[in-house]
Amino acid sequence: MSCNTAMTLPVNCDDDVVSNGADTEVQVISYRDALHRTMHEALRLHDSVIIIGQGVDDHKGIFGSTIGLAQEFGLDRVMDTPLAEEGMTGVAIGAALNGLYPIQTHIRADFSLLAMNQIINLAAKYKYMFGGRFEVPMLIRMIVGRSWGQGAQHSQSLQSLFAHIPGLKVVMPSSSQTILDTYPSVIAEYRGPVISFEHRLMYDLNFQIDPLLTKQKRDPFGSYVVRQGNDITIVATSIMVLEAMRVADHLAKVAGIQCEVIDLHCVSNPDWNLMMQSVEKTGRLVVADTSWREYGVCAEVCRVVAERNPGCLRKPVVSLAMQPAPCPTAKSLEDMFYPDLRQFANAIATLVHGNEEHGIQLPDTQSMADVYKRFKGPF
Amino acid sequence: MNSPEIFERLFFQALRIRLVEERIIELYPSDAIQSPVHLSIGQEAVAVGACEPLTNQDLVFCTYRSHAFYLAKGGNLNEMFAELYGKITGCARGKAGSMHLAAPEVGLMGASAVVASTIPHAVGAALAAKRLNKKQVIVGVFGDGATEEGVYHESLNFAALHRLPVVFLCENNGLAVHSYQKARQSFEISGHAQSYGLPVHHITEGYDFVKVAGVMSEIIDHVRTDQAPAFVEIQTCRYKEHVGPGEDFSCGYRNIEEFQEWKQHDPLEQFPKLVETFRPMILKEIDAAIDFAERSPFPSIEELLCDVV
Repeated sequence: MSCNTAMTLPVNCDDDVVSNGADTEVQVISYRDALHRTMHEALRLHDSVIIIGQGVDDHKGIFGSTIGLAQEFGLDRVMDTPLAEEGMTGVAIGAALNGLYPIQTHIRADFSLLAMNQIINLAAKYKYMFGGRFEVPMLIRMIVGRSWGQGAQHSQSLQSLFAHIPGLKVVMPSSSQTILDTYPSVIAEYRGPVISFEHRLMYDLNFQIDPLLTKQKRDPFGSYVVRQGNDITIVATSIMVLEAMRVADHLAKVAGIQCEVIDLHCVSNPDWNLMMQSVEKTGRLVVADTSWREYGVCAEVCRVVAERNPGCLRKPVVSLAMQPAPCPTAKSLEDMFYPDLRQFANAIATLVHGNEEHGIQLPDTQSMADVYKRFKGPF
Repeated sequence: MNSPEIFERLFFQALRIRLVEERIIELYPSDAIQSPVHLSIGQEAVAVGACEPLTNQDLVFCTYRSHAFYLAKGGNLNEMFAELYGKITGCARGKAGSMHLAAPEVGLMGASAVVASTIPHAVGAALAAKRLNKKQVIVGVFGDGATEEGVYHESLNFAALHRLPVVFLCENNGLAVHSYQKARQSFEISGHAQSYGLPVHHITEGYDFVKVAGVMSEIIDHVRTDQAPAFVEIQTCRYKEHVGPGEDFSCGYRNIEEFQEWKQHDPLEQFPKLVETFRPMILKEIDAAIDFAERSPFPSIEELLCDVV
């Protein structure tokens, strides 16, 4: 269990280093560079690691996260692949069974649907089905798209499909810190299949990272309190953690509302005790997920609260998620498809105040628009 | 490859597999084995011949019809029966049953109930073998139906592209469940495999374990030396129904003459004296394995959630 407050807010800082007032320095590193650093270190530290995926060796290098690695470590370790998602996932499983540690990439999570047979029928079951006689250590990186017309097949956030399946660990890094805390430890120490949902819109964001936090070696399959507060609990995943932090800042400033924000992070095995302690303290709960509400993270959080201690809730739970439709491309529709900051703030203000006549000033910015407005597509 | 000694050794192995499966048929009505069985009777020579040139370090990936490959590769008979009985002493602690036999200690790397799904595992294991310089040969075993799956083609392409030390072994019994090959395929398996640039071998006498062993020996030497893939299609004949212990010639979907013709060539049918020579020794081993399975305990509650992650 972790109760540490991580600095997850993206910063608009061009400097690489700022002082945190202690002896150690807080560094600033983008999500992309954190990914690149972990990929580089994995190849450097472990001879068994290979990175396989479409375009991992090209000039774009999975949005910059694998650039230059093929040149440094060779094409036999950073392998471009045919367009064969199921086959290549099977190849990764076979390689893992015979001594390698494959890191497989899907530049959109949507493409992993072609590999569901290998992920669900094989990778997830190989250990259990054979009585523990095999291990399939591998990391599958899936990138979730959003904005700039990604549309129905480049935007799906499929964590609940995989988290539903016993045998898979599913993580959703919400910051550079969580990447740097999670990937090296997973690659070095965990001997099973891990699926990581990275969010495309965070690649360009700079985050503060704290070496003190890194030293604490947080559980890579844990959940984290990223902001402490007594009025309401926000349980969030991936980029919704950033939204939660922004809305919490706003409400603290304009209304003195103190939100506690939990980054669920390992959605397959969340730290439910951590969450329940928070909900029992605040009595109010908002769930903010990157996917659909139905049968997903929102539903699962509600199940756990309902089973463990429904009486601790002073108000009904509010879920913030995508609208129950495929993702549209038109900007006007897409803006309505995703929950925005005003809805988020209004939900919290209503819960804390007790009704919709809360009179609390809502943020006038669009959802994260000023933070990731630099994303101009196309992909 | 044609010495009487080799013939007798392979005959013994093939007979052992057949007698094991015939015992499974006998036991099946008792419900002691509560697991769908896909019997290899009629196809033993493929497994016996194919595994003859392999070492314990060489790896084989299989299908749900894998009793024969499990035993031919050297899997433990006690653990196999215990697995079929759902006992803790089974090769997978009672979590696999008939369809997912494995014996990693002798290179039998598992079997899947989803058609074609282990073919890319053989390719991936070959990728690891090559990269880690293990000098292994990897064999991916699949049926004719698997060649209709996309992942089969993805696997051949990748192995040929990267010249990986893998043998694709198609056990062609001409049937996918109850459907003949000609009702399913617009292509010819070996010819199509050749288009990936693989050296292709086709053995029509899949009942002849000595011949299979001879051809496989050449293929495996080539794959091991050249570190490049190869393809072999072996015609064979499934004597029993797709799943279960019985025969189903009366159901009308298959031609009994083909089966009778095949049996004319089956050494296990043609050399009854040799069968009688070996039978007592094999039956004794089977009796002991069944005794082991029956005396073993069922897995208990602590096994239920063990080895999930």
